[in-house]
Parts: sequence; C-alpha cells; structure tokens
Amino acid sequence: MVAFFRGKLAFAFKAVLLAGISALLVLLLISALGQKQYAIGIFLILVVIGLNFTYLTKVSIPLKFFYPGLIFLLGFVVAPIVFTLTMSTYNYKTGNYIGKTEAITQIQKLAIEPDASGSTFDIIVGKYNGTESAILASDTVKKQYFISTYDKRIDLNVTDIKVNEYQVATEASNFKALADAELAGADKLLSTSRFFYTSEFFIALEGFDVGALYRQKLNFLANQDAFQNIATGAIYKDNGKGNYANVDVPGEILEPGWRAPVWFENYSKLFLDPKVREPLIRVFIWTVVFAVSSVLTSFAFGLLLALALNKPIRGRRIYRSILILPYAMPSVMSILIWGGMFNTEFGAINQLLGTDIAWFQSVTFARVAVIVVNLWLGFPYFYLVSSGALQAIPSELNEAAAIDGASPRQIFSKITLPLLLRILSPLLIASFAFNFNNFNLIYLLTGGGPKSTLDGDIAGATDILISYTYQIAFGSFTQDLGLASAISVVIFLLVASISLYGIRKSKVLESFV
Amino acid sequence: MMKWLRENLWRHVVGIFMVLFAIFPLYLVVISSINPSGSLQVTSFIPREFSWKNYQMLFNDPTIPYLTWMKNSLVISVSVALLSVVISASSAFAFSRLKFKGKKSGIQLLLLIQMFPAILALSAVYVIMERVAVFAPHFGLGTQPGLLLVYLGGAMGVNIWLLKGFVDSIPAELDEAAKIDGASAMQTYWLIFVPLAAPVLAVVSLLSFIGTFNEFILARLFLVDMGSRTIAVGLQGFIGGQYSQNWGPFAAGSLIASVPIVIIFLSLQKYIISGLTAGSVKG
Repeated sequence: MVAFFRGKLAFAFKAVLLAGISALLVLLLISALGQKQYAIGIFLILVVIGLNFTYLTKVSIPLKFFYPGLIFLLGFVVAPIVFTLTMSTYNYKTGNYIGKTEAITQIQKLAIEPDASGSTFDIIVGKYNGTESAILASDTVKKQYFISTYDKRIDLNVTDIKVNEYQVATEASNFKALADAELAGADKLLSTSRFFYTSEFFIALEGFDVGALYRQKLNFLANQDAFQNIATGAIYKDNGKGNYANVDVPGEILEPGWRAPVWFENYSKLFLDPKVREPLIRVFIWTVVFAVSSVLTSFAFGLLLALALNKPIRGRRIYRSILILPYAMPSVMSILIWGGMFNTEFGAINQLLGTDIAWFQSVTFARVAVIVVNLWLGFPYFYLVSSGALQAIPSELNEAAAIDGASPRQIFSKITLPLLLRILSPLLIASFAFNFNNFNLIYLLTGGGPKSTLDGDIAGATDILISYTYQIAFGSFTQDLGLASAISVVIFLLVASISLYGIRKSKVLESFV
Repeated sequence: MMKWLRENLWRHVVGIFMVLFAIFPLYLVVISSINPSGSLQVTSFIPREFSWKNYQMLFNDPTIPYLTWMKNSLVISVSVALLSVVISASSAFAFSRLKFKGKKSGIQLLLLIQMFPAILALSAVYVIMERVAVFAPHFGLGTQPGLLLVYLGGAMGVNIWLLKGFVDSIPAELDEAAKIDGASAMQTYWLIFVPLAAPVLAVVSLLSFIGTFNEFILARLFLVDMGSRTIAVGLQGFIGGQYSQNWGPFAAGSLIASVPIVIIFLSLQKYIISGLTAGSVKG
C-alpha cells in the first residue's frame, strides 16, 4: 500500500488524471474563448496552469491539498460574490441588459417609422440576376411594378411582367422566385432585410407576401457616438448611464440601453430615492421583528420543554422522539404542508378553530402565521440545545442555592437562566442571522404577501429583505439586478457583523467553559 | 400522590401540549394521504376511509413524474454528498494538520466567505451560469450538472468548516508518529487520516445529502423542465397554490420523500446537534 503512493504506478495514475482533467478544461476553455466569454476563459486558463503547476512541482505541499476545494470556492462562491459587488455598481436592469454595440444595433433596428400613408406592396421573394436577394413588388392600385434589391430599385413596365388575376406581378425578366423550401431556410435573413425604395425609404417584409414602406427615424453618427433624429435634427448622446439621451431634454432616452457603470447610484438610491427607500425600510423593520420574534418564541418554547423534561419522568423518550420530528422533516415539505393548513376555505387550522380567517390576505394574520410556522420549525432545535446546556450546568450550584434557602423560582431566574443565556447566546445570534435570511419560509408560505401591487410596489407585508431582493432581481414586473446586488451587499454586511459578534462571544465563552 | 402531581403534572402538561403541536401537521399529512377524496378539506380528524389511491396516483399518473423527480433529487444529492466530502476533506486535513504560512488568515477568510449567504449571490450565479450555457450547454443554466457544480461550490465552505471542527478532535499522535517514520503528507493523509476520519466523513456527507435534498431556490431557478426537476421543486409546482386540487397526492408524495430524510436525521441526531452547536443552523 505504501509502495503504491511512491511507485511508478502512482505516478502514472496521477499523470493520466491530470492529463484528463487538463484536456477537459482546455476544451471548455477553447469553446469559451470561441464564444467571446473572456472572463470565464481567463479563469479557466489560470485553473489549468495552476493545476499542473501544483501537482507537477513541489512548490507547496499544502496547496496540493487545497487546490480542488479552492477552485470550487473561487469559481462558485468567490466569483459570484465579486460579481455581485460589480453588478451593484452597474445599471443592470430591464432595458439595460445588453452590451453597448448590441444596443446600438437594436436602436437602429427599432428606430423606423412607416411612411405617412402607410404604403404596402404585394411582393414575391426571389433572386435578381441569379444571385442578389431581391423582391418583385407590385402596387396593384397604382399599377406600379419594380424589382428591389438591398441597394437598388429597377422599375418595370407592365409589358416586362406577367400578372395574375389580382394584378400582382408573378414573373419578371432576370427575376427568379424562391421555392417554398428555400423560403423556410431564408426566414430569419429576410425578416431583417431592408430592400431599397428611395434613398429615404426602404421596404421591410411583413410575411412573405407583403412588404411595407418604412424610413429610418434615427441616424447613428459613429464619429460622434450619437444618434440624430432625421426629421427633427435632435441629437441623442451617450449620457454615461447606459442610454442615449436627448441633449436638450435629458429625460428623453432611446430604448434599449446597455449595461454601464453607475458607481454608487444603486447604493445612494437605497437611502435617497423614496420609491426604493420606503418599502426597504418597511421590509427591514419587519425582517428584524420577524427574526427576533422567531428566535424568542422558539427559544422560549424550547427552553420550557427542556425544563419540563429535565427530570426522568415517565414517557420522556417518547416525548423526545416525537418532539424532534418537526426538525427532522425536510423543511420545504413542512412549509408547504403548513401552507395548505392555513388555507381559508378548506384548511385544517380554520376548521380546528371554527373560524374562517383569510390568513394570507390579512397583514396581521399572515405575519402571525409566518411566526407560528417558524416556531414549529425552530423549537425542537432550542429544546435539544437547551437540554444539553441544562445538563452542562453543574448541579452543585443549584443544590448550594437550595441549601441557602433560595426558592426554585429564584434558582431559575438567578442561576439557571443567566448561565443558560451565556452558554446559548452564540446560538441565539446564529439563529437570528439564519432567520434574517430565511428565504424558503417566506417564499413558500406566503410568497411575501399580502401585497398590493397597484402602484408598482412589490414589497409584501411578510416580505423579508432577502425575499424582497429576490423579487427585485427576478420579479415579474421589472428586474433590477444592479439594485438587488446593492441590497445583497448591505444585507451581507449586516449579517456578517452580527455573526462575527456571535463568534467573538463564543470565543470569550471557550475561555469560560 | 399529591407530591407527584405537584412535581410532575406541569411537566406532562407542557410535554403533551408541545407533542400535539409538533405532531398535528404530520398527522394531518398522514390522514390526507390515505383519504380517497384527495382534497385538502378534512371532513373528520379521525379517518373513516382508507385507500392507497393517492399513492397509486403518484406512480401511475403520467402527468406527475414523481419517480423522475425522486430520482433527480437522489442523483443530485448523492453526487453532492460524495463529491463535496472528497473535495473538502483534503482542505480540512490541511487546515487541521499541516503547518504553513497564512493558515490563520486562510481560516478567517473561509469563515467570512462562508457567511455570505448563497442566496444573496443568486443573481450573480444566475448570470454566470447563463454565460457558461453559451459555450458549454451541458454545464450551464437549466442543467443538472450545472446545478451540481453550484451546489458543490456552495457546500465547500460549510463542509471544510464542519470537517475541520471534527478533525481537530481526532488525536494527532498517530499522524505525528507516521511523520516520524518518514511518511509524506500525502501518505499520512491517505493511509492514516482517511481511515481514521471515515466515520466523520460519512456523517458530513450525510449532512450534505440532507442539505441538498432540502435545497429549493437554486433548484427552482435552474431546473425549468418538468423532467429535470428535483422533488422539492416538483412538489411545490405540483400544488402551486392550488392546494385544494392536488392535496392528496401531494401529501403522499411529501411523506414518501420525507421518510428517508427523517430516518437519516434521527440516526445522526448526536452528530447533527454537535455540528449545529459548532455554529451552523439547519436550513
């Protein structure tokens, strides 16, 4: 066995494994670069170099142990965090999803208007002189016929063409119509093609039989990086925030925009823009209330149970094994089950209480329901840890106090509880941090509701920061990844400082216990 | 007798009350799952009829790919459980047993990174995997391997942290002895550490299994196709707010899915509690 780790076999095994993984990574790398995903490409290059460097040289032995874990951490935890930080300084939102060059193409494509009378032509798609894409167009009212390619128009006399019973030209010299099979293949190309009409107007296809007359409304001035409205002469310039805006009327912007750095605008919006700030404050307050009351209720009930079952009474084992069940159940399932139980019409809760409360339509009841469900999910944990902690308190302390004449109530409030709190405070803090981000509960139970989305306010009464952020990022109205990332960063700072405080407390504890 | 009442009555009152609270939803699921009407409405809290109809529906109704969901969940969770432990064990070993520069700051950095709740980086993960899908469609958004990679990354921090805690409690004498006998770090790792830590590795991989099985939001965001969903996403979409309609089969489905998790959990109770007291809370 030892020989295996030193022998040639081991080396061969290592070489094959390294070569295999490197080959796979290089393949990925090539296709990443091929698709212009440079950031991911560079990451993969570094991974491959690092991999071979780590395992083929003796540069660092610990690194050999860390490398695989390190790569996963970098790729799927650190990179997303860094990316979140970056996104939080961008206007990454609906209307600003694409890059700038793409946005320019899009604006040009969208900035067309039909001519005043809305002229249309009957057309046949085909080739001119055998090679050039072209249309044979007929204006059956004016009896005007012509062939149009991308860059020219060839007017035809009625004598040059054959028409059908609707006076639509079907054949012309030098023009060959496309067969149906060819049409299907050219679908995408044709739908974006512009056929020449005059220097101002062009014909765009609306299906394979009809073309309409359009003209470009905006002209891109590449040397000035600006758009000009051909009719009014208005100039639209890059406003530095991911849009071309009218120089005279800054609020008038061209759609779509592109991703552009807005630096701290997303952060300042959190504090300055009342439309963002007000729901955020509301949600924040509820988040704290929710997390605190969840921890306190779960702890209170758990502790009460632990105290009650702290003596070897009859049936203690049965109690214990049933009490732990809510904690052992997959929480996704239990939350969904509770969701059904709170149903207004058919739910078991209303039936049990003999009421017909619309739990998730009322702010107060929805909040109560959320906390009750979280109590159910959380009390077994505190029961278990409190039981453990109670046993860790030396019984001499209580006995001594009893001899000194302290009543059981005094013993509890003066000795047991303070000691328990000291032992459990890091867990209470950790539990607070966990509930602060208890996304599953809110999302699966109430979906953040009840909410009134009439005026575009997407924050519901039971939304906590994390579920609110999720809605901002992936909601059905508008999606604002930039703002969502900024809120994420703020939440992280909050939760990390709370957790660090908890850890420091537990360090202090280690020296005590 | 009076003394017994005074001493113990309140204990049983508290115990019974909490047991009822704890068991009520579970009892309800059980009776719903055998209720042939399959509706959310409980006509009576004591079942009068009994049928396997809801269970049969899960396995026979082609519109509910329950077995596929279950298989997906198991494949993903088992892969995460095994791979994440294989990958993170060596890092935990290095943190626990090797001496090197920057060890302390490395541990602190790991702790800090681990505190960034995965869900906060959700939009970033989404955009990154969207881009991966452009050049490697098999590993990007919407695929199980893509989800697996993200899960593995997410499991790293917690697992290294948990494993390090457990490993620190294994006495170091053995590997020191091996070192004196001239074993390299690699040899110590494979020949001494891995066999010694095997039970611990098993526990942590079971914990990852439970965590992954229970994960909802990433799976929901990643797996759009009905046939690629996990059990959590599948069942959620299945009732999808329409509690009244599919309640019976849903109850049966969530019972079947929960049983293995509950069994694993109960058998690992001791370790889970100690792992939790080490600073993390179950999701």
